[in-house]
Amino acid sequence: MKSPSPLGPDWIACHHCEAPCRIRHVHPGTELRCGRCGSTVLSPAGRKTFQPALALSIAGLFALFLANTNPVLTFDVAGRTQSGYIVTGIGELFHQGYWPIAALVFTASMLAPALYLASVAYVSAACSMKFPLPGIFAAFRISTWAEPWNLIPVYSIATVVSVVKLRMIGGVTWNDGARWVLAVALLTLFAQQVFERRMVDLRLEAMAAARRNEGRAS
Amino acid sequence: MTDSFRISTARALVTTAAVLYVPSNVIPVMTMTVAGKTDPLTVLGGVKELWDSNLPAIAGVVFLASFVVPFLKVASLGWILWLHGTDRHQGVRDKVHRIVHRIGSWSMIDIFLLSVLAAVGQLGALGSVTAEPGAIYFCSVMISCLLAAEIYKPRLIWESPGETDP
Repeated sequence: MKSPSPLGPDWIACHHCEAPCRIRHVHPGTELRCGRCGSTVLSPAGRKTFQPALALSIAGLFALFLANTNPVLTFDVAGRTQSGYIVTGIGELFHQGYWPIAALVFTASMLAPALYLASVAYVSAACSMKFPLPGIFAAFRISTWAEPWNLIPVYSIATVVSVVKLRMIGGVTWNDGARWVLAVALLTLFAQQVFERRMVDLRLEAMAAARRNEGRAS
Repeated sequence: MTDSFRISTARALVTTAAVLYVPSNVIPVMTMTVAGKTDPLTVLGGVKELWDSNLPAIAGVVFLASFVVPFLKVASLGWILWLHGTDRHQGVRDKVHRIVHRIGSWSMIDIFLLSVLAAVGQLGALGSVTAEPGAIYFCSVMISCLLAAEIYKPRLIWESPGETDP
């Protein structure tokens, strides 16, 4: 198991600007801030745990599955109706020859949300059990990579705008898929708020140190 | 990836985004055909259509997300990279980088809109939605800015003058 931090045990890198900061005990009501960029480096753990992130990310994965398996909207013009899933739009753009746009929409609305929620669930589960599951650092890196590409909240706003546009032409019905898209968007936003990368960094570091000590003892 | 490679790549991406920003707003991003009437829509054309339909709030959201945000992203990343290697406004640059990172993704709203409309708007002669080349330019601007903000790490803002400038 490889430690994520190249710094010594008394030091932690600022999560934002990567400046080394010496770890000290933080009392309730205080926090350790980066001397360079001012970001919070350490804050009292208090009652914070990894369970909220775990619960939200698992719920988000279920909602994402349902958002992708139910139609989002039904459009009706002069008695002719058409329902569309998230993947329908991607397929249509691909068939029209705009595969780069199709690939981007697929990444931002399906792949990255799934990778982000799954990796957050995996890392949160390992951290809350204090058990170094295999590939934990890779999962943590995936969650970092997938976060800016996880644009399902933007997709939910685009769905609302498209309903407004389509109502100018014909009738539109919200389907279950749209509700699940909104649910994924909210769960993702909440998961991003409660998934504390600083706490994960510290927990992974502690697990790596414990593993090293075990190795020395045996 | 070395720091000098990061900086030159970020500069190339922001220059690309700045160049492509013009065609992304001039060339239509989609064509809506309703009952035989074809209507090519640019980003601002879509905003005007919403405004004309007495939907100023929605028009405002789309205008901000699709026109203002990409412009601000290109301009602010250009400014950050322009001042790279100097110790001027390091704190402000760091804050601007944070904001760009946070709001940058909202400009994807137009591309998702195109995807949702294309999903349900294939009703043959009654109505159809097709993508247009402007959407490719728009996506390129969006991806270039997103990658530039990812590649140019905030720590590079704080480096001493001349440390990594290629």
